[in-house]
Amino acid sequence: MRYEDVDLGDELPSEHPDISMEKILIFTEAAKMKFPRFIDHEFARAEGLPGALVPGIMSQGLLAAMIHRWAPGCRIRSLDTVFRAPLVVGTTPTVTGAVTDTDDEARTAEIDLIVTSEEGRTSVLGTALVAFD
Amino acid sequence: MTKPDLDAIKAEWIGTEFDHANFTIKVEDMVNWAEACGETDPRFTDPEHDDFQAHPGFTTHLVTRRVLPEEFPKIQGRGIDGGKSVEVLAPVRVGDELRASATIADIYDKTGRSGTMVFIVQRMSFVNQNDEPVSTVDWKMIRNVVDQA
Amino acid sequence: MILDLHTHSIRSDDGRAKVGNYCQWIRKKQIPLDGFVLTEHRQWDDSSDYRHLEDEYGLVILKASEVETDYGHVLVFGVNDDLVNSFDFAKIDNPLPEVLEAAERCGAFAAPCHPGRKNVGLFAHYDVKGPVEGVHTVEVLNGGSIPGEDELSVERAAEHGYRSFGGSDSHIVSRIGFCATEFEDNIGDIDDLVAALQGGRFAAVNLREPV
Repeated sequence: MRYEDVDLGDELPSEHPDISMEKILIFTEAAKMKFPRFIDHEFARAEGLPGALVPGIMSQGLLAAMIHRWAPGCRIRSLDTVFRAPLVVGTTPTVTGAVTDTDDEARTAEIDLIVTSEEGRTSVLGTALVAFD
Repeated sequence: MTKPDLDAIKAEWIGTEFDHANFTIKVEDMVNWAEACGETDPRFTDPEHDDFQAHPGFTTHLVTRRVLPEEFPKIQGRGIDGGKSVEVLAPVRVGDELRASATIADIYDKTGRSGTMVFIVQRMSFVNQNDEPVSTVDWKMIRNVVDQA
Repeated sequence: MILDLHTHSIRSDDGRAKVGNYCQWIRKKQIPLDGFVLTEHRQWDDSSDYRHLEDEYGLVILKASEVETDYGHVLVFGVNDDLVNSFDFAKIDNPLPEVLEAAERCGAFAAPCHPGRKNVGLFAHYDVKGPVEGVHTVEVLNGGSIPGEDELSVERAAEHGYRSFGGSDSHIVSRIGFCATEFEDNIGDIDDLVAALQGGRFAAVNLREPV
């Protein structure tokens, strides 16, 4: 994907990322955040949560991966995410994005980002600024 | 429950730099982070790639020993992660030695589905061993004070 | 005429949308909106001027506020200096009767938004504290609602005989126009909007594409 191919309104191909416990265990180890609310469904439920939660910063990473697949070689300059509702480990979310602005001089695109839970609830909302060579 | 005096807290704490930390960036953490996020771009998953670097949000997990200043008022309530934003100023590479400073960037309250919430925005600024800024991370920490209804 | 009566820009703490980007998105996606109202959280944005965008995009762009009360969130249209001096827009627990009275007195229009939402919706508070006099109009379609919330809003609004409008509650560009309000009258400025709301000739509309 070159900058010339990017158009206002373009929708990024939506994805259903793998947020199985296996992935969460790898992530939380790398992120040094192996806390029970992320890796233990029973513990999380005892705390009043719907189940073990996907760390918010991992949701941010899922969105970044989607952007990189849409535009290989692009550079994410900023990622801004608001965590709105819990995302439960082992469920099937949907990540989507859409181009909301382009800057011909800077060769950048602004992208809206959304993570939706399998119940249809918005889990994460955000934006990214992506640069192209 | 006594409502915190946010105006007083803001006046005293916003802009206060309260902690520093150093971090060494390790290749296995970089690769595992990216792969766990479903990344397929070799820039982030293949240490042999010419441009191998940490995933854009990688610095969001690096925290100082204190997340709030030592004498910061205790605001009662359940802690919730309200969101993180990261500005990627330069690639983070294997073996980078990052220095971070933490400040309080903002404090405010609002109500939502969870009830009354106090938002504390903590900002971490990272530079590498060459004193080059590599990222800025804003973390919205929420104290869920009370249900209104 | 169709207006999205509930949107947020980067002026709101959790808003991520630039107003110019809203405009170009509406035109690019051919969203059937004639304009929108910026209802920034807990503030009256007196300084932003969007008239150049109105001219460029042929859209009506108005400003209002979303304030917080002890009965949930309320949209206030027709904010003026008198109203700004009547209560603290930044407070999260303004007494609803005072907000309603102040709006009436200052010639503005106040209406609870997302009334079916937990904690910040009117009807959750009605269940605990009983109804409030002076409420006559509520937002029954909100683009940020989770399943069940709008349905509750519609049902309870009908029970109370409240008039109903819609808004997207968009915080990012691509969510504008999910829900809106269709007016019988032509609206060119905020005075027209307040008059149209007071006149009651409008209906909530759902503009979301079917899933």
